[in-house]
Amino acid sequence: MNRRKFLGLGLGLGAVAVMLPSTLSAVNFRETNKGAFEGPKSHTVDDAMTQLFGTSKTTASNVKLKAPDIAENGAVVPLHISSKLAGKTVAIFQDSNPESLVAVFTVPANGLIDYKVRIKLAKTGTVTAVVQDGKTLYSASKMVKVTAGGCGG
Amino acid sequence: MAKKTRIKAKEKKGITTVKAMANHAMLSYDEAKRKNVEANFITSMIAKVDGEIVYEVSTSQFLSKNPFVQFKFKGSNKGKMLAFTWTDKKGNTKTDKKKIK
Repeated sequence: MNRRKFLGLGLGLGAVAVMLPSTLSAVNFRETNKGAFEGPKSHTVDDAMTQLFGTSKTTASNVKLKAPDIAENGAVVPLHISSKLAGKTVAIFQDSNPESLVAVFTVPANGLIDYKVRIKLAKTGTVTAVVQDGKTLYSASKMVKVTAGGCGG
Repeated sequence: MAKKTRIKAKEKKGITTVKAMANHAMLSYDEAKRKNVEANFITSMIAKVDGEIVYEVSTSQFLSKNPFVQFKFKGSNKGKMLAFTWTDKKGNTKTDKKKIK
């Protein structure tokens, strides 16, 4: 094997080694839990929660959810979720859009549960944030009144 | 099509706060039907520092257009590069980097 080929091979191997960890470490809930995002079991909060966590029983404490009481524009509803729990998974649900699951966060080793995100709501509904800590689900809900729909126009 | 993700990253007392705004239309199925185009939205967002994941989320169609997110993580990261990547339903990805101040 000549030098040029050898170097090329090394580069190729190096690239593969760099690529692998990044694809392995990421959890794509869309693939592992597709049913929670789309399909017949994704329309109600309870069903989607069962799809994702295996249960829909939550304890309403330890989680803070900040959302506006009245959202003038349903296309942009700011949410702020925070918790001191050492949970590994955080999910957002709502009951006003066709499917109820909005987002699933995976909390990394150094991550803090302190997320802000903007979502769309088609009509007035209840937003629920769930933090999974061990086998227990903690949640917080907040009713958001939407005066102009975001998904329905 | 995809413009740069706007990122601000700042460390204070060992906690880094990152604000990021991805440039994406986030067309939900309903909206796309009305406009007669294919639905397309960001399905996952990942942020990394030195190859280590500091933020990870799988998202659905109900994030707002040009989604804005804010997140925090611990550790001394001043001066390091933060890489923010999103992937949409059609498989497009975009990575943008920003130094943590």
